[in-house]
Amino acid sequence: MSPIPATAGIGLRFQHHRAVAETRPSVGWLEVHTENYMGGGLPPDFLERIRRDYPLSMHGVGLSLGSADGLDDGHLDRVAAAISRFEPGLVSEHLSWSVAEGAYLADLLPLPLTEEALSTVCANVVRFQDRTGRRVLVENPSSYLRFAHSTIPEWEFIAAIAKRTGCGILCDVNNIFVSSSNHGWDPLVYLDALDPGTVGEIHLAGHSLKTLSTGAVIRIDDHGSPIIPEVWDLYVEAIARLGQVPTLIERDNNVPALEDLVAEADHAAQILTRAIPHDALDAHAA
Amino acid sequence: MPTLREVQAAVAQGMLTRDHSEAAPYVLEDAAIPPIERLGIYRNTFVGTLVQALRNTYPAVERLVGGEFFEGASALFVGRHPPHGAYLNDYGGEFGDFLADFAPAASLAYLPDVARLEWALSCAANAADAPSLAAEALTALGDVDQGRIRFRAHPSVRLVRLAYDADVIRQAVVRRDEESFKGFTPDPQPFWVLAHRAGLEVVMRRINEADAAVSEAMFAGRQLQDIFTPEGMEAQVAVLADHLANGRFTSFEVAPPA
Repeated sequence: MSPIPATAGIGLRFQHHRAVAETRPSVGWLEVHTENYMGGGLPPDFLERIRRDYPLSMHGVGLSLGSADGLDDGHLDRVAAAISRFEPGLVSEHLSWSVAEGAYLADLLPLPLTEEALSTVCANVVRFQDRTGRRVLVENPSSYLRFAHSTIPEWEFIAAIAKRTGCGILCDVNNIFVSSSNHGWDPLVYLDALDPGTVGEIHLAGHSLKTLSTGAVIRIDDHGSPIIPEVWDLYVEAIARLGQVPTLIERDNNVPALEDLVAEADHAAQILTRAIPHDALDAHAA
Repeated sequence: MPTLREVQAAVAQGMLTRDHSEAAPYVLEDAAIPPIERLGIYRNTFVGTLVQALRNTYPAVERLVGGEFFEGASALFVGRHPPHGAYLNDYGGEFGDFLADFAPAASLAYLPDVARLEWALSCAANAADAPSLAAEALTALGDVDQGRIRFRAHPSVRLVRLAYDADVIRQAVVRRDEESFKGFTPDPQPFWVLAHRAGLEVVMRRINEADAAVSEAMFAGRQLQDIFTPEGMEAQVAVLADHLANGRFTSFEVAPPA
């Protein structure tokens, strides 16, 4: 297993398999969606070869850590098998749910932020970690609604998961920006609530604006455009608090040329070099 | 206060039916955006993600009917057949049968079989990796009663019964050579296609009815003595040899005597 360095990496998508193999871009590491490499054939064969040259992170999108029904045994087995096969340096999932009533709802759905939901997520995280033998990083979501009966601020909710289960946090700076904008939160309050010792990875991505029937505008986390300046500014704030944390450039839609992603990774890497090393930050906090 | 299970059941109901009335009361209200519209954002992603998954599996079907038609049919399919798990390579196997009953596509008699073929090829492409059985392994058997041998098929092997020249049509579409079948009348006569992954590439070919029956029995793990017949022995052994030579088995065992 190659550890993920505290520099910038990019999300590896099928469209870039050939370009990555041929050009070997100068990025610190690669991240893939776990679900894309669970079967056999061409994609996993490619990943077997490319992971010899790049540290690899595996990011799941379908485990549904927030499901009241618990984790799907079959899917958990597939995730565990993929982790065992590819030995990624980091393993991550989402603070969300996507399975209910026997159906997979193919989105990262928001949770009511209650004590009951907190207990459910913690139980599922513990089960995941016990089954895989790995510490999971849980990513904060972008959200477009809040439940009326929520009682815990999201930043306290995710910090509590890390504290109770020993898992880490994947801090998605774009998601903090999107949710803060949609719900009127202060993104710096969010960042301040995260214990730097628990944050193992940062995500950066683009998002879009959607005008609804009422004329209201909402931000949608579609990973389909370049990172906007406000998110870069928030990233500077994040690493000032969290130190040098491995940072991923994510792009899932309107996937641009590989060079464009590498350019964004270079920009993130430059910002990272100005940050305090994570270890020093931990020592300072201690 | 609703339980987490109650909230998730209500939201799921809206995602599957487009009726968010059960979940809307749980959503925090504000003047700017009604709860139903907020819930609708998630439903759009749900449908869009799964339509894209179907698009990835059924590129020839999409090309035959056009993007808009495909999107409309797929969105209906998603509502009737939501996935049961997050591994989306396993999603959409019923699409061929759905298209067979989909009235707006009734004039394209070959369309369901093109879909069934694409599903078989997708399954073959994504099946688990497994080493193939070397034919020489059988020569070490010695005097054992070979009639009691039964094989385990490679996970990528697919045998599918089609009609309307679905393989010819798919091939032309994939090659973007639709001109080649302009004026072409697909033959409604059924035929069989055998597909498997050779190395990393999926290969397929037509086989006849008799060979398909023998192959199906072998892939199902039946003993050779229950498959071979005196009158068809020569052809049946040839089918077995072809499967062994092309790596369509992963292992074998000798069943105990009855």
